[in-house]
Amino acid sequence: MKKLVALILMLSLSGFALGQRRASEEVETVIRNATILTVSHGTLANSDILIRRGKIAAIGQDLKAAANARVIDASGKYVMPGIIDCHSHAMSDAINELTYSVTSMVRITDVLNPEDEALYRALAGGVTTINILHGSANAIGGQNAVVKIKYGRPIEEFMFPGAMPGIKFALGENPKRTNFPQPPGQRRYPATRMGVEEVIRDAFVRARDYKAAWDDYRAKLRRDKNLIAPRRDLELEPLVEILEGKRLVHAHCYRADEILMLINLADEFGFKIKTFQHVLEGYKVAPEIARHGSGGSLFADNWGYKIEAYDAIPYAAAIMVRAGVNVSINSDSNERMRRLNIDAAKMMKYGGLTEVEALKLITMNPAWQLGVQDRVGSVDVGKDADLAIWNGHPLSVYSRVETTLIDGEIFFDRQQDITRRAELEREAATLKQAEPNRAPAGGTPPARPRESRPAYEQDDDHVDGGNQER
Amino acid sequence: MISRDCAESVSTLCGSETSMPEKILRRVAALTILIAIAAAHAAVPAARAQQQSAAQTVDTYAITNARIHTVSGPVIERGTIVIRDGLISAVGIGTVAPVDARVIDGAGLTIYPGLIDSNTSLGIPATPAPTRGGGGAAGAQTPAISSPNSAQPAGLQPEILAIDFIRPGGDQIEAARNAGITTALSAPREGIFIGQSALINLVGDSPQAMIVRSPVALHVGFTPLRTGGYPASLLGVFSALRQMLLDAGRLREANQIYERNPRGLRRPSQDKSLIALFPALAREMPVVMYADTAREIRRALDLAQEFNLSAIIAGGLESWKVADRLREMNVPVLLSLNFPKRTTAEVPEADPDPLRVMRQRVEAPKTAARLNAARVRFAFQSGSMTSMADFLANANRSIENGLARDEALRAMTIRPAEIFGVANRLGTIEVGKIANLTITRGDIFDKTSRIAHVFIDGRPIDLKPAAATPAAAGAAAAGTGAMASGAWTIKIKSEEGREETATLTLQQEGTRLTGSLQGDLGAAQIAGGSVDASGNMRFTAPVTFGGQTTEAVFTGKITANQMSGTVQTVGRSPATFTGTKPQ
Repeated sequence: MKKLVALILMLSLSGFALGQRRASEEVETVIRNATILTVSHGTLANSDILIRRGKIAAIGQDLKAAANARVIDASGKYVMPGIIDCHSHAMSDAINELTYSVTSMVRITDVLNPEDEALYRALAGGVTTINILHGSANAIGGQNAVVKIKYGRPIEEFMFPGAMPGIKFALGENPKRTNFPQPPGQRRYPATRMGVEEVIRDAFVRARDYKAAWDDYRAKLRRDKNLIAPRRDLELEPLVEILEGKRLVHAHCYRADEILMLINLADEFGFKIKTFQHVLEGYKVAPEIARHGSGGSLFADNWGYKIEAYDAIPYAAAIMVRAGVNVSINSDSNERMRRLNIDAAKMMKYGGLTEVEALKLITMNPAWQLGVQDRVGSVDVGKDADLAIWNGHPLSVYSRVETTLIDGEIFFDRQQDITRRAELEREAATLKQAEPNRAPAGGTPPARPRESRPAYEQDDDHVDGGNQER
Repeated sequence: MISRDCAESVSTLCGSETSMPEKILRRVAALTILIAIAAAHAAVPAARAQQQSAAQTVDTYAITNARIHTVSGPVIERGTIVIRDGLISAVGIGTVAPVDARVIDGAGLTIYPGLIDSNTSLGIPATPAPTRGGGGAAGAQTPAISSPNSAQPAGLQPEILAIDFIRPGGDQIEAARNAGITTALSAPREGIFIGQSALINLVGDSPQAMIVRSPVALHVGFTPLRTGGYPASLLGVFSALRQMLLDAGRLREANQIYERNPRGLRRPSQDKSLIALFPALAREMPVVMYADTAREIRRALDLAQEFNLSAIIAGGLESWKVADRLREMNVPVLLSLNFPKRTTAEVPEADPDPLRVMRQRVEAPKTAARLNAARVRFAFQSGSMTSMADFLANANRSIENGLARDEALRAMTIRPAEIFGVANRLGTIEVGKIANLTITRGDIFDKTSRIAHVFIDGRPIDLKPAAATPAAAGAAAAGTGAMASGAWTIKIKSEEGREETATLTLQQEGTRLTGSLQGDLGAAQIAGGSVDASGNMRFTAPVTFGGQTTEAVFTGKITANQMSGTVQTVGRSPATFTGTKPQ
């Protein structure tokens, strides 16, 4: 057991060595003789993918590549677009700002940890892009971050260029704090679903007034220079961006009635909900969701963990797809994030989605939900070379990822990983001998290790994973 | 003692170089002493007052034949330093000790500029440690320091001034001086906008007398508030910082507009917390940001760039990973010498330390040399180390890991003086500078050397030799068998028969005891701990009984791996305790 844990820890660190030199961007890469699951235009047998400057330059058979091109032999292997997880809390040093019901001022980009081991494990599951969301404790939560998992690189290189900024909303039991102990005297408003709606409406009324105050100031400033500018309000600015269509709303929700409530409220203020997250009862109001133009980002089969999660069914994704909703399967968990391919495959069993429809749930559809559909989500010429190479069909439980590329660079390679294990074990042994790592006489026994966010939990269930002292 | 001081004071009257007004002053002083001597026979307090005033009148010292590390120039192998009126009045090879000076034979001694600890909370009373077990609101903590009439919550009050809270004296100041430290930057411990620090000399009967410069810098920590209020997460910390800096910028602008032409404008609401941020926004005051890991440092630098702040990083454990950016932004580092090390015992079933943690511990002592190679300015700080003997010991480890000795010395003298804007009065041995000196027998970086004398503001400091160097501390501890150190399991029995269990972790250093108490009674650091050669020990700790926290005095005796004694708290009958320590 001890050895296994050590190995996992080492494995997770090995990513640093894998991020290839930037010079490799200038070198062409060609993946030869693969079965390509393009997702957008069918499956191509025995085909090549040519990658130039991080983009897919050509797809076809017997492609010509430069003499110095890096060749990845994918004979007998499957290539699919890098998996996109539309709901993650990996990489965050904090998840919830629990104090207020509206915390639109907080930004996940302020608290990212590019060294989170969960990222390397996600790469090993073929994931290349994740949507990192604020938790669901607040009716209006914080601003999200869409990143490419360029593990081992500086944080700036993670940020998905051109991704639409987003924000987390939450409805139901979490924002009304029903399931969480509250310190006496610190009971927070709202405590009902009615209150959640009112809090969101109030915030947008304030945002509208705020925008008006600034418009008024700018107009007057042309005539009168002796004016003091309104206060910049970091809480309301992102809400103004929502009203102006410049920020996407990702709304955590469960019940059909509250989904309809939020659609009506968005219509009232003239904005769209880009995705309903979890949306366990979404199958009951799928046509309404489709009509509003929203996507749904679901669990494959996770339910019953609280009252509002009782009415879920595994057929939800398929029902919603048939109703014309853009549907993705997300993880909301560092553990499930590593095997989203399996969760997508389940949707062929429950509801009978086709192979391509199932693959879309973790590629093209979440790309659309994050506003990056022109960059990623399918194997098409001109798109980013974010690819996962599998040793078998990715919708099979027996398959595993061999290589994961982002912008044409290798960020996970199974063979390299295996080679590096011995090296890391040697390093660990050497480090252990170093004086500061030796156990002191009379020291206290180590505290029982506790994962900061146990894998089986989702953001709904932990009061505040990010605020624990680490 | 008294008579000798007197005699020397009187002898100064004959000093030929003394000016007329000075002579009169001295006469008055001497007269005062004579009167005081008469009074001394009458009452003990009077004698003490007299003793103090006598000590103050000796203000001229000469240390001869010593090796002098001026830091500003080459090392003087056999030179003399003259100290007069708190300042360095002469230094050199040919310098002659004035006749009125008390002469110290410096043969075998090495003189350094007084060491500066570049980030501490010295002199500022500690906040009570957070308690456990109370649950709910009882667990909520309010920073002890709060500013009256502030519109901002405690913890977001940049107007807090360290000098309003600093108290002279105390164990910690003494421990720092024993380690050769003469000067420290001091700031409160808690908060996000923590307040403004002061550079203090570690001597003086009043806070006013200690101040070298105030305010020096605005201090920013990124720890969420523990009051239950916003911001309660790292997410909120950044938003709160950002909003307040924006608000301050707006207020500054609004005030300018209003002052230009107030007619037709509502007057801006004056928030003193926001006003306190103006100097930082104008880059007139640096901002010390607490950051250890590479990502914490990057976040701090991002914030500094966003608001064009003049940043200083404090902590800097992984600063070597961000060295290029620190140099580009010309951001200095107050590098902690409190290097991480493994503190837990070997237990077969325990998970091994993660590679990341083991690497961090091994890399820490290499940081200073790497920063130096990357031309990042840095100064050493003690980083809340429990034993101040680690200050020089770990500076030594930096040297073993590639830092030049000269650079290590600079990082404790002139570098912090430069960073805090006091290089014209501190940090080197030069005529006219404040006479802060750290004097060692042997080179300061030799493991066998010890601190022989410390001068602060021109006055010699009584040193407690026990904590002078690690070697000495070890020897002293050996004298009492270091019997107290280790993790004790203690059982506390109240008169009503209730029994509480706690883990008492003690570190013994000479006769001093430090450590912590954890368990049924809450978790807290102990204070005022001492143990004598026969094992009689005493300390105080805040304990929690039935939701109430109160100060408890533990007195008892240690014999081998057993301890027993009594616990006294106000308003309760005394309890007894027994403790055992695994061999």
